[in-house]
Amino acid sequence: MSPRLILKNLLAHPLRSILTLGSVALAVFLVCMLQAVVTALSSATSAASSQRLWVQSAVSLFVDLPLSYESKIAGVAGVETVCKFQWFGGEYRDGGSFFAQFGVDADTFGPAYPELDVVDGSYDAFAGRRDGCLVGQALADQYGWKVGQTVPIIGRIFPRVDGSAWDFVIQGIYRAKTTAVDERTLYFHFDYLREAIEQGAVRMEPGVGVYLVDLRDGAEPTAVMSAIDALFENGPQRVQTTTEAEFARQFVTMLGSVPVLLRSIGGAVLFAIFFAILNTMLMAARERTRDLGVLKALGFTDRWVFVGLTVESLLLCVLGGAIGIAVAFVLSLGVAKAIASFVPGFEIAGESVALGMGLSIALGLVAGCVPAWNASRLKPVAALRAED
Amino acid sequence: MADSDPIIRLRHVERSYTRGGEILPVLQGLDLEMEAGAFYALMGPSGSGKTTMLNLIGGLDSPDAGEVIVAGEHVDLLRGAELSHWRAEHVGFVFQGFNLLPVLTARENVELPLQLTPLSRSQRRAQAERALTLVGLADRMTHRPAQLSGGQEQRVAIARAIATDPSIILADEPTGDLDRRTAEQILDLMQRLNRELGKTILMVTHDPVAAEFADRVIHLDKGRLGRIDHNHEPRRISAEAAADVG
Ligand SMILES: Nc1ncnc2c1ncn2[C@@H]1O[C@H](COP(=O)(O)OP(=O)(O)OP(=O)(O)O)[C@@H](O)[C@H]1O
Ligand SMILES: [Mg+2]
Repeated sequence: MSPRLILKNLLAHPLRSILTLGSVALAVFLVCMLQAVVTALSSATSAASSQRLWVQSAVSLFVDLPLSYESKIAGVAGVETVCKFQWFGGEYRDGGSFFAQFGVDADTFGPAYPELDVVDGSYDAFAGRRDGCLVGQALADQYGWKVGQTVPIIGRIFPRVDGSAWDFVIQGIYRAKTTAVDERTLYFHFDYLREAIEQGAVRMEPGVGVYLVDLRDGAEPTAVMSAIDALFENGPQRVQTTTEAEFARQFVTMLGSVPVLLRSIGGAVLFAIFFAILNTMLMAARERTRDLGVLKALGFTDRWVFVGLTVESLLLCVLGGAIGIAVAFVLSLGVAKAIASFVPGFEIAGESVALGMGLSIALGLVAGCVPAWNASRLKPVAALRAED
Repeated sequence: MADSDPIIRLRHVERSYTRGGEILPVLQGLDLEMEAGAFYALMGPSGSGKTTMLNLIGGLDSPDAGEVIVAGEHVDLLRGAELSHWRAEHVGFVFQGFNLLPVLTARENVELPLQLTPLSRSQRRAQAERALTLVGLADRMTHRPAQLSGGQEQRVAIARAIATDPSIILADEPTGDLDRRTAEQILDLMQRLNRELGKTILMVTHDPVAAEFADRVIHLDKGRLGRIDHNHEPRRISAEAAADVG
């Protein structure tokens, strides 16, 4: 079958072609988006370091640990440094969009996170100023923040007695070299928070959400983990120590088996679409049985007919797939921005494009092969006898 | 010209169909020779096996037994792609229902068999235009079948059948769906293909008047050959049919 005949056949039933095209586009679009989410979730896990340990309360992430634990953890063999992490949970501009703020120890936080790259201002400036803070590039871009600017944050967990905002002065803007760190976080001094509490500006007990432990080179993570856990076996607060990788993995599994779920949804959609397309292609070939008989009578071989019908389906599906990928790509830019705080690193990567293209090619081939095979086996005499 | 080699030769040809487990013999030991350059009409009652015979000669079907030798080739021995190639080169088909591809224009329909030749795109186009001009449709090149009358559609089909210049035209009731006047125009065209281009034509028809346009009339009855009539003075197109060609 000639390219022109293939094209004209597709154009002869514009509605049917568009619907087929649309369903492939939709399926590929969905698969690309789901794949991007799965990739983003798992890349957060794989970029996580096993060189860092997280010590949290054995009861729950929301229960603080005593300040006194710091020096005890620091004494465990294999521990290089300990850094306090406190979830601040404040709000920038009432009801504004969400981003994370952590109180950390400046002297140990930076060295433990070589992935953090301060591109504007400097880490030392941050370390040198009590009310200083570090913000991610994405945050700075979003709010138009500059180094030296003051960021007022209303404390929701740590409200000031006088109702005023916490003022953090930007001393550095960082970029993340891996997805283990996201660029939408504000880091400030833990001590700034502690002093405010001690001075009575905030009515709260000082505590530490999580201790971050940076391991000494060559230290065995599992040994250190069990040593730390053993240390507080008998209270006052039992702890649970995990590697960062494990911590991230737990976070991902805490979301339920989201990746598995997403993959199953994608698979189910594909499966349904496949049968719809197969059915359309079978119908399209059947109603042209006589035409196929004519082609054979004219001397077109069975192979020609097979290739022609397959290419027809392939063309439709690849075009649909390309549209699906393009739409997914355009939309993903917006989606990535919207969900950056929860799922950093969301993007339609080459991997997703390849997956989408591969799927549309596979769809087109399989859905085209079946009617094409039937058509190629058709006896010309029988095909010519077919009713219109 | 009794001593010239026949272009079509059937020897003891048998063909039967099985329907619902029963064997239905259609052609039962058919022997027939047809001369090159003649215009044959094939007549017979419905179900006598005319289409079956035409399909065997055109290589659309294979006999159960016997030999089908067309243009020097043992067509009964060809299979698959070989048979396709042979068809493309040696025979042109014309059907009762025209069988044009509805999505293609008249010219594209005629170009279709040319795609199996080594001709270039522009050569194919020129050849298709020549064939359409020959059948009187120079002004209908870009019309689609739905925009043509039945007689015009059949002329496009004839142009398609002669586009690759095959030596044999096989037509199965080409005028069956046409009114008398249009039918005469098609029959006149067939005569011209036969006389001016030297095509050997085998045309199935139920219409005795149509058969009068041929040189010879073969009668088939229940799969057996009957008499062969010679029209010494084949019928010509009537004046009123000739007047409104188009
Ligand atoms: N594919 C088939 N399967 C079963 N029976 C068939 C098949 N093709 C033809 N027949 C039968 O064979 C017989 C001859 O058929 P054929 O089409 O050759 O007749 P015909 O002379 O062309 O008739 P008509 O004038 O009606 O076109 C008929 O009885 C027909 O029903
Ligand atoms: Mg018939």
